[in-house]
Amino acid sequence: MRRVGEKLIPVLLSTPVAVLILCLLWIVVSIGGEGIQALNWSLLTSSVLEGGIFESIVGTLYMLGGAVALATPLGVATAVYLVEYAAESRLNHLIIQAVNNLAGVPSIIFGLFGYAFFCRFLGLGVSLLSGWLTLVCMILPIIVSGSVEAISMVPTSFREAALALGAPKWRVVKDVVLPAAAPGLATSVILGVGRVAGETAAILFTSSVYLMRGLPSTVLEPVMTLTYHLFVLLVATPGGMTGKPFAMALLLLGLVVSLNVLAYIIRVYYRRRW
Amino acid sequence: MDPKIEVRELNVWYGNHHVLKDLSIKIPERRVLAIIGPSGCGKSTLLMTLNRMIELIEGARVEGRCLLDGVDIYNPGIPLTELRRRVGMVFQKPNPLPKSIYENVAYGPKVHGVKDRRKLDEIVENCLKVVGLWDEVKDRLNKSAFELSVGQQQRLCIARALAVKPEVLLMDEPCSALDPMNTRIIEKLICSLGRELTVVVVTHNIQQAARVSDFTAFIYLGRLVEYGPTDRLFESPVNRLTRDYISGEFG
Repeated sequence: MRRVGEKLIPVLLSTPVAVLILCLLWIVVSIGGEGIQALNWSLLTSSVLEGGIFESIVGTLYMLGGAVALATPLGVATAVYLVEYAAESRLNHLIIQAVNNLAGVPSIIFGLFGYAFFCRFLGLGVSLLSGWLTLVCMILPIIVSGSVEAISMVPTSFREAALALGAPKWRVVKDVVLPAAAPGLATSVILGVGRVAGETAAILFTSSVYLMRGLPSTVLEPVMTLTYHLFVLLVATPGGMTGKPFAMALLLLGLVVSLNVLAYIIRVYYRRRW
Repeated sequence: MDPKIEVRELNVWYGNHHVLKDLSIKIPERRVLAIIGPSGCGKSTLLMTLNRMIELIEGARVEGRCLLDGVDIYNPGIPLTELRRRVGMVFQKPNPLPKSIYENVAYGPKVHGVKDRRKLDEIVENCLKVVGLWDEVKDRLNKSAFELSVGQQQRLCIARALAVKPEVLLMDEPCSALDPMNTRIIEKLICSLGRELTVVVVTHNIQQAARVSDFTAFIYLGRLVEYGPTDRLFESPVNRLTRDYISGEFG
């Protein structure tokens, strides 16, 4: 009886794993199968006005690029402050905990906040800038908590070595701590981008439009993105979905997966050189 | 001769734990002072008060005076970076920076404003020669310092400390993690450095203290028990505690 039980347990436990892998495969195959047929060079490079998705692709890159450029220095600086400068205190732990919790807030809430605060209150309107700031709010917790971890992992002996040479604190941070934490910082940034690369709800009200002529020429203009474009296509054409939406879904899937793979590679490649 | 460092009635607490008690000592210039005593007696704490690294320890409190060339290093007007340039430190566990061999030695001078590449090359070569590492590493100066053996790493750390031209070098059990060969090299190095600068070396290896130092201080339970020329202290210790410790009866 006991023998049978012991043999049964691995089987029982492996079932969910199999189901998970099957689901993943099913998603990839069903989206990829249709998507790959619809995906071609002219779809990627021709304007939305001619049935392509060029503006949506570039718009997505604009969104992500700007959000990362704003969130990275802010997030890393916050983490440096929390680990290196803020005194070990209850308040400090509370802040880190609050930041971690922020990472779990549903994105539609960020979207609502972004619309109310950036678009309306600050008067930025539905624009690239409002979208960036909203996404920054979403990415920041991920970058901060990842960076706090990366910086905390840097051995104290490195800091002591540099301080004992007479290096001022800021140089120790710049020359020793940040370079040593760089792989971890990069990973946290990429994971942050990965989180918002497929984001729809947060930019739904803050920056996206379904159709516009050309790309935004200032940050106060709205922008087209793959996710929102896809969302509208799906809502507008119930039932008869074929071709283009699947190609866009495949692109998004590819983007998110490659970001995560990249983060993984950096993590493995730079694992503990010291 | 005026002492290089004079410690007057030093008291150190970690929280409520009274680690150093009314400790006074005059450390002579260009000599090697060995500080001996059982684990936990406060040797390393004393060392850390001399370059204010003790301030990194949370809950540490220092009272009393530490004069370097007659000026109190705890005076708020003393710039910490300059103090630590003048009073260098070598740690118990070799702690190279996560940089190349070259950068490890050049980092200190760079921080203190040396920019000229040729000057830096010269400093790096000289300091690596002093610690006897030059011939071993001159072909791989750009390799990571972590590729060196532990003994080489410790000599690199000494070279790094020397690169900023310190007047005092504090060494916290510098050989405790090393093999006999590297220990011998470093002991010789300590002897020769003692002619150029003031060396304070903490050790719980009594023979090592006898081999490398001109003066020895014995600390027990946070108090300075006996202090004098190494030969005298080892041949005819005055205090019974000192005699018992150096004859290996406790420790």
